[in-house]
Amino acid sequence: MNTKTLLRNALLLAVLAIPLLPFAGDYLLHVLTLIMVYMVLAMGLNVVPGLCGMLDLGFVGFYGVGAYTCGLLTMNYELSLWLILPIAALNGAVWGILRGAPTLRLTGDYFAIVTFGFSELVVLFLTNEIWLTRGPLGLPGIAPASIDLSWLSKAINPEWDWYWEFIGEKPYFYMAFVMVVGVFFMMRRIEDSRIGRAWFAIREDDLAAASAGIDVQIYKVIAYAVSAAIGAVAGSFLARWTMFLSPDMFKFWESFLVLCMIVLGGLGNMTGALLGSVVLIAMGELLREILPRLGMPAETRFIVYGLIMVLIMRFKPSGFLPKIADAALHNPIIVELRRSLKAKGVV
Amino acid sequence: MLEQQLINGLTLGVIYALIAVGYSMVYGVIELINFAHGEIYMFGAFFCATFITAFGLPFFPAMALAMICCACLGVLLDIFAYRPLRRAPRLAPLITAIGMSIFLQNLAMIVWGSRPKPFPQEALPAFFHETALTFSGVQLSWLQLFIFSLTIVLMIGLNLVITRTKTGTAMRALAQNQRAAALMGINVNRIISFTFMIGSSLGAVAGILVSVFYNTMYPTMGYNAGVKAFAAAVLGGIGSVPGAMLGGIVLGVAEALGAGYVSSLYRDGVAYAVLIAVILFRPTGLFGKAVRQKA
Repeated sequence: MNTKTLLRNALLLAVLAIPLLPFAGDYLLHVLTLIMVYMVLAMGLNVVPGLCGMLDLGFVGFYGVGAYTCGLLTMNYELSLWLILPIAALNGAVWGILRGAPTLRLTGDYFAIVTFGFSELVVLFLTNEIWLTRGPLGLPGIAPASIDLSWLSKAINPEWDWYWEFIGEKPYFYMAFVMVVGVFFMMRRIEDSRIGRAWFAIREDDLAAASAGIDVQIYKVIAYAVSAAIGAVAGSFLARWTMFLSPDMFKFWESFLVLCMIVLGGLGNMTGALLGSVVLIAMGELLREILPRLGMPAETRFIVYGLIMVLIMRFKPSGFLPKIADAALHNPIIVELRRSLKAKGVV
Repeated sequence: MLEQQLINGLTLGVIYALIAVGYSMVYGVIELINFAHGEIYMFGAFFCATFITAFGLPFFPAMALAMICCACLGVLLDIFAYRPLRRAPRLAPLITAIGMSIFLQNLAMIVWGSRPKPFPQEALPAFFHETALTFSGVQLSWLQLFIFSLTIVLMIGLNLVITRTKTGTAMRALAQNQRAAALMGINVNRIISFTFMIGSSLGAVAGILVSVFYNTMYPTMGYNAGVKAFAAAVLGGIGSVPGAMLGGIVLGVAEALGAGYVSSLYRDGVAYAVLIAVILFRPTGLFGKAVRQKA
């Protein structure tokens, strides 16, 4: 075990221990959980602009689709969250494909504007279809998440009742943690797979990728579906966590914030997405405190986000954790080549 | 009723056309969707209102001054945000454009507050809200007449600039092939600045007209108008100035009819529906030309 994995494991343990600390109040846990929700969103969004190089401005639409899928299924059919999660992911993926299929042949700019239109249409739908979504009133009182294993415990011992309802911030904190770790490892695996390599090839040059035998359109559709499914999962979590949904929660600002996170962290880098979420949410909470004291409305904190995006693109276009093809750094032939070149004083 | 809807749609349509021209021209020369264009439009309205209330200027000089200020803003936007990224990958200026749009929007919120404000009506000529014409039950106010005539004058003027002047010719050359244009001795950056100047001042006019017409302005007004104008530009064929004009008018009428006869709740949705339909079935728009990838 080298120092890097040791450090990572220590960090994971430290995060897990946070709720046990005496100073960890509800506010801190709430913000941390929020950060983790955005981590999942950022990783989901990263698939399309980061790995495939297509600017997606409407990611929040899938977040909304997922959240409302979960909220409505919970309120109308009282399904368990564990059953809803796959349904919501599937629903998100379907919408991702529906949005993506007609736009397959579009270049970056057109794609960006269509995605933007899509997320606006989602908000319009959620606001206007009152029979389904209660419109601007939102969905209050969504039941919290719970784990119901009573059928198992009853079978073992009729006295046992394995049923836990998630109350307070702690259970959600751990649940979000599991979600982040799960999505992170899934994305890392996909990145290193055939699919991930195809995505990178498309990002660099889709014409060259097509010439190399990659079916660009299929891989783009897969990217849209994966990205949308992750967004929907984050949305379902949000529904059960906040227990309230309204169309206002899924406006363009959210897409922008998530985009800003991955730009800050480095497009295409999953670790960068995590870093970006931590930095921007923490900064958002700080600004929310500071700005009103300076006599400015709290929503003007977005001026900082806008500025960050412009400056990053200008001075550090690959973000703070740029995505580099690190597989090459471990390739013995390349390592040997570099060493010999260095010995000759070429590099 | 139908006629009144049509007239209102046309009024909105010519305003969309003014904004759409800005998108289309900029796209024509640097192939970038200038997302911040909607914010320039919003700034136009706020500048004009500020000049009226703070300096006591009459309406028309305030409008001219607002146009000049917005032209400067557009040029600054290009110099600081887009020029350094001319050679960067496509994604970078696009993200910068979004960032600038958000930045400008929030800047306006800090300066003027986030609540909707009425346009200072006392500065407007008093006859604006009187009815100018009535035919078969349709009322056309002087304001609407003013909007139509001003837009038509501006459009004709713009067409003359583009087709008859040397700068306009340089602009068209740039749109065709930037490198070849540079080799012919055209100062590329100056022409791009000029394009931003024209587009932004037309956007400012549109912003002023809309805020006078609806008697309201707010920092997020550029957001929806921007998307609609972009849809108009795409409908007309992006990069084509006459196309943008026609696209704006068609979109304005479609929106008014859609709101009147289908559902007013989805009024804003019409633009997106048109946009997606055009992109699907006729990506070059009405007047656009097909461009080969990687020539």
